[in-house]
Formats: sequence, structure tokens, C-alpha cells
Amino acid sequence: MTDPDRSTTTTREEPPGPGDQDRAADTPQRRAGAARRRPRVGRQALAGWLFVTPFAVLLVVFLLLPMAYSFKISLYRSTLVEGEVFAYLDNYRQALGDPEFRRGVWRVIVFGLVQTPVMIGLAWLAALLIDEATSRFSRLFRLAAFVPYAVPVVIGTLMWGFLYSPNTGPLSALTDLNFLSGGTVLFSLGNIVTWQWAGYNMIVLYAALQGVPREIYESARIDGAGPVQIALRIKTPMISAAIVLVTIFTIIGTLQFFTEPLILQPLNPGAITNSYTPNVYAFHQAFSFQQYNYSAAISFLLGLVVFVGSYIFLFATRRRSALR
Amino acid sequence: MNVRKFIVERRRRSPAGSMAVAVLTALALVATGCGSDDADEQPDGPVKIKVWAWYPAFQPVVDLFNKTHTDVQIEWTNAGTGQDQYTKLQTALKAGKGAPDVVMLEFQELPTFQLTKHLVDMGKYGANDIKGNYVDWAWKQVTNGDSVYAIPVDAGPMAMLYRQDVFDKYGLTVPKTWAEFKEQGQKLKAASPTSFMTDFGANDGGFMTGLMWQAGARPFDYTAAEAPKIGVSLNTEPAKKTMTYWEDMVDSGLADTTAFGTTDFYSGLASGKYATYLAAGWGPGYLQSVAKTTSGKWRAAPLPQWTAGENAQGDWGGSSFAVTDQSKYPKQATQVAMEIFGANKDAWKIGIDQAFLFPTATPILEWDYFLGKNYEFFGGQKVNEVFVPAYNGIGEFEWSPFNSYYFNQLTTAMNQAVSQKSSWPTALDTAQKNISTYATQQGFTVAQ
Repeated sequence: MTDPDRSTTTTREEPPGPGDQDRAADTPQRRAGAARRRPRVGRQALAGWLFVTPFAVLLVVFLLLPMAYSFKISLYRSTLVEGEVFAYLDNYRQALGDPEFRRGVWRVIVFGLVQTPVMIGLAWLAALLIDEATSRFSRLFRLAAFVPYAVPVVIGTLMWGFLYSPNTGPLSALTDLNFLSGGTVLFSLGNIVTWQWAGYNMIVLYAALQGVPREIYESARIDGAGPVQIALRIKTPMISAAIVLVTIFTIIGTLQFFTEPLILQPLNPGAITNSYTPNVYAFHQAFSFQQYNYSAAISFLLGLVVFVGSYIFLFATRRRSALR
Repeated sequence: MNVRKFIVERRRRSPAGSMAVAVLTALALVATGCGSDDADEQPDGPVKIKVWAWYPAFQPVVDLFNKTHTDVQIEWTNAGTGQDQYTKLQTALKAGKGAPDVVMLEFQELPTFQLTKHLVDMGKYGANDIKGNYVDWAWKQVTNGDSVYAIPVDAGPMAMLYRQDVFDKYGLTVPKTWAEFKEQGQKLKAASPTSFMTDFGANDGGFMTGLMWQAGARPFDYTAAEAPKIGVSLNTEPAKKTMTYWEDMVDSGLADTTAFGTTDFYSGLASGKYATYLAAGWGPGYLQSVAKTTSGKWRAAPLPQWTAGENAQGDWGGSSFAVTDQSKYPKQATQVAMEIFGANKDAWKIGIDQAFLFPTATPILEWDYFLGKNYEFFGGQKVNEVFVPAYNGIGEFEWSPFNSYYFNQLTTAMNQAVSQKSSWPTALDTAQKNISTYATQQGFTVAQ
């Protein structure tokens, strides 16, 4: 929550696959007495703990400790003249009443409401299409759609920045539209994000489709279902859990929208302000204005928004995602 | 412990064992990542002083220093230009480690770092001895009584750089006042609708402050001795006059509003889309790197005046070397700060020839070589005949101890005015309000 750099790297990580669970424990050796089994279990438990330790250490050192530290500083207020004083929840109060912060939250919510359905829709459509087609072309298409995800966000955004540039960009030759003006820049950002992530989400959905037993389609065809009906009535419900998953990741990523606006900011600082999204605001509060305390408070509030937003969505879709 | 042997042995025993190795390795990695400080034990031999600076052509200056000193050696890093470096520096100072010994700071940033007590008072290490080498206003920028917080290096007197080829092509004359500047702009626009008289970078606080400074605006009334008292008057008549003028220039399509420092801006300078570039003394150094192809086409003229025949000037940038409180060798660091450029003619020859720096040290300012130099980039013009009088007209100016915040508020307000086509002078009112509120919050006593 505290380090804006994390926003795009860790929140959209690959969904955890079916992990390597220790299945040895499922086959208790009945012949062995309980007395002999117990140390075995103990040793296995130890092995389990050892497997978890590297992750746990990194989690504590790089996430929990920094979070605790930033929560602590979010309760203080440091001023140039008086130094640091304990301020209870003053920073939080200030943030809740801060129109810049609210506008930023509102902006990412609106952005998410438009961009998320468009992107997930594209990914869903593309996944269904390549699942249906079995030509060499589909494999090529799969790869091509995935390539943008392989391009680092910063580089991809810089590239788009050149494409959008009103003076030197190729797009400006085709149309009079300024892609970086106040009215259009949000759509331009949406386009970058969609380009970056649609292919990735498509692969996730496509992988889920691969897991659906083909016999189901067989019986559906015998019952007289056409390809469209199969896609809508069978495939889509079968992968609803995966759809919910990619949507959740997208919602979290959207609320923490950071890298793309920050990279494009120099191209039109009037349109992409220092408080454009909550995370950009937190970044500038800390690193442009040295308001570390306020920045920490904003980050925590944003974390709360992300948590609540994700939870609402999960709750609303719990029937579909087998998360009851 | 022989790790490999250990792993091999453990592997024969159990998977848990090899996991233990992995865990130990991870722990070791974490420990090394978070624990050790830089080893600051100086070896026997010269003291190494870390320097952050972004001067163009700085490497030969560093080499020269290292060649001529045996007991002190500079390790130079370019940690970014302007705000990028300050952000890194603020973060390193806040973290308590990672800052260099000597750092390049522009004049406007000095009060900020001085107030947070991160700059070493070089007066203790003999910096006052070179006071006589600097003009009054420059020395005032870096000192508080006998406390010396930085050593001035260069200044940013402003001038109008113009494209001789564009002026010839459209029959423009060199404007002496802002009114004439606008007339020439109209003439240019009529002849070439895609051209602009100049570009106004509303994203550059130093540039806008320089122009308002020239008009007589003095946004802050602050000295370290009087802290925490501060006067904030950003929306005064001269400042508003400046912004009203530029709003009109932009509305009439005579000035472009492409952000400074962007590819579009540089391509506009290179292509001749902008007939003039309102720049500081160090501007040509940047032009050389971003618009190399235009070498020889530029000329320099004094900044247009509000009142014909006056010599009102503003400063944009200009920099100094300060020593941070993280330096373990403040004495040697002070020596480095004083002598990298100092009044050393060999170093300054590089600075003048290759980096287009405008010196603050009087021995260099009065040096015939500097005054009489023909600049190839300016078609053989002796541009210092323009810059030196500009430098002499700068006058006193005080910066706030929260300059990053000031620049940020100013640019935010102006950028929004530009992109939303709202009133520019009103944007100054907004910035005034925000900055006063901020100063009060920070514990200052604010006089409007």
C-alpha cells in the first residue's frame, strides 16, 4: 500500500495456480502405529513450515513491516518549523475532506466502470474465439495478443506517449484529435491499459476453457445447441470463476492506477494533474511535497477503498465464483 | 562452512534439509539486502568525495580536479536533472543514508535544505575566505550571516534566444519590449500559421518565476534569520501583469503551450517552429544537446522589457555546491565544493566552452576570454555581451523554504489554466491561497 511502485507489479500478479500441495499427508499408513506416525507428521509439518518460510520472511520484511511503519507515520504530522507531532487521525480526516483525493478516487472508479467491462469483454470474446478455432492462426493470435503484457508497463506507456504525441506522433497525422488533451487523455490511458492487459486476461480465460471437459460440448451438440449457444450457455458459466478472478485483479489494479498516468504526466501536466489518481496523489505528496505522513494516510485510505471494492464485488458474484 | 558440501550431504538425508538450506540462503539474502551500510572506512590514500550534479560536460571538469588533487578525489554521479535529483536527495536525507557528500543545488532550493538542517555550515571550514570572489546578490543567496550553506557556481540570467534564419525568412526585427514581441509574433503568425513566436512552459516554475521576477514580482519575503516569519505575495500586480500578457499571447496563438523538456518541445526548437526561446544563461548548453542541427542559426538578444530602455531582469536557475550532513568528511567536501569550479580558469574554460555555464565568480566574469568569446553555436556572436548586462540587472530575490511546493503549486495552477482555458491571473490567486494555507500548516507566520 505504501509504495506506489508496487501497485502495478504485485496487484496483478498471475493468479495462483493449483499449488503443489503436500499430498503425502493424505495417505496415512494404516499399518504404522500412531506412536510411529506422530514424529512423521511432525517432520512433515516442519517441511511444510520450511517451504513457507522464504515467502513468510519476504512477506514480513517487504510488506508487513513497511505497512506497519507507514501506518505509524500516518498518525504523525511533521511540519517544517515544528518537527514531528502525534496527530491521531488528523491526516485521515484531512484526506476524507480533500477534494483532490475524492476527485481522484471518483476518477478511477469511473475509469474502472468503463474500462473493466470493455477489457474483460474483449478478453472473454477472444478466449472463446481461439478456443473454438483450431488452426495455426489461432496459436499465432494467442501469442500476438499476449505480447503487450510481456512489454514492461513503463516502456509500453512511453511508446504510446510517442504515438499520441500531437507533433511527432503518427496518429496526429490521421486525425485532428489531440489524444493528450484534458478531455481525451483518460480514454487514451484506458486504451493503453486495455492493450496491456486484455491479452493477459484472455490467456487466463483460455486456460480455464481448456479445463472444461469436452464431453459436455458433445452432449450439448447432441441436444441441438449451436456454437453460439454453447459459448454463452455452457462455456461462459463453466469459466465464471476465472472471469470473476480476472475482474477482481482488474478492479484492484484500476483503483491503484499509477504507472501509466505518471509516465504520461510530463506530456500534458495540465491534463494529468498531481492528484490525477489516488496513487499518483500519494506519490506526489511524498516525493514532490515531502508530505510523507499525509501520503501514508492516503495510501491506507486507498487500501481501504480497494478492500471494500473487491469485497463488494466478490460478495455480489459469490454464487458464480464458487466462493461461498 | 562449505555450502556445496553441506547441500550434498543434506540432500541425501531429507527434502526438509535442503529446504533448510534454501531458507538460510533466503535469510542471508534478506540480511544482506537490509543490513549493511556502505563501508565508509576510507582506505589509506585520497579521501573519496561523492558528488551529485547534472552540469553538461561535467566529466572533464571532474577529471581535471582529480588530476590536480592528490589527497581528495571526486566520485561523480548524475542523479537526475532538477526536481528528479531533489526528490532523490530529499528521500536519501529523510532515510538518513544514501546522500552524497557534495550536491548541486539551484539557488531556489537552498532555503529548503537549509531549514531542515541538512546542509553543513561551510563557514566553519574556511568558506568565508572566498567571499570576495562573488557579487553581493549571489553570495546572499547562499549564506546567512557568516554561515555559508553553498558555494555559488553559475547563474541563470535570462535572454531571448532567437532563430536568425526564421527572423530573416519572415522579415522579423528583434523586439526590444514585450509589446514589440507580440507585434513580431503577429507578423510571424500571419506569414506562417504553424509557427509560434515562442513556447511558454507552464510546467516550469523556474521559468515562470524568472519572467515574473523581471516584471518586479517578489513572491516571498523570507530569510533564515527571520524564520518562521514569511511573506507570501504571489498574486501581486507585476505577477498578474506577466500572466495576463502570456494568457493573451497563448489565446492569440502566438505562443505555444507545449510543456518544456518534452520531445515535442525539443522538436519544435529544432525545426524552427518556435522563432524564439526565452532562456537562461545555461539554455544554450541544452540547445546544443537537443537541437544540435541548429548550431549557428541562433542569436541572443536581451530579454524584451516592459518599459523601453530599462534593464529589468530575472534569473532562472543558477546553481551552487552544498555539503550534506551525511558527509563524513565535511572539511574535504567543503574543499571540493569550493574548488570544482571555484575561480579556477582551467575548470571554467571547460564550463564556458562546453557547458555554456554563466559564472558567478567575479574573476571569471571579468576574464577577457569569457567576455570576448565568439560562440559558434550563435554564429560567432559574443553572447556574453548580452548575458553580462542581464546578470547585472538581476537584483535581490528571496526564495521560500518550501520551493518544491511553491513550484508544484504554481505549475499545477498554470497548467490547469492552460488546459482548461481559464483565467491565468486567477490561477495565481489559487496558488497564493494554497501556498499561504500550506505555510500556515507548516508552522510559519504568514504575512500576506
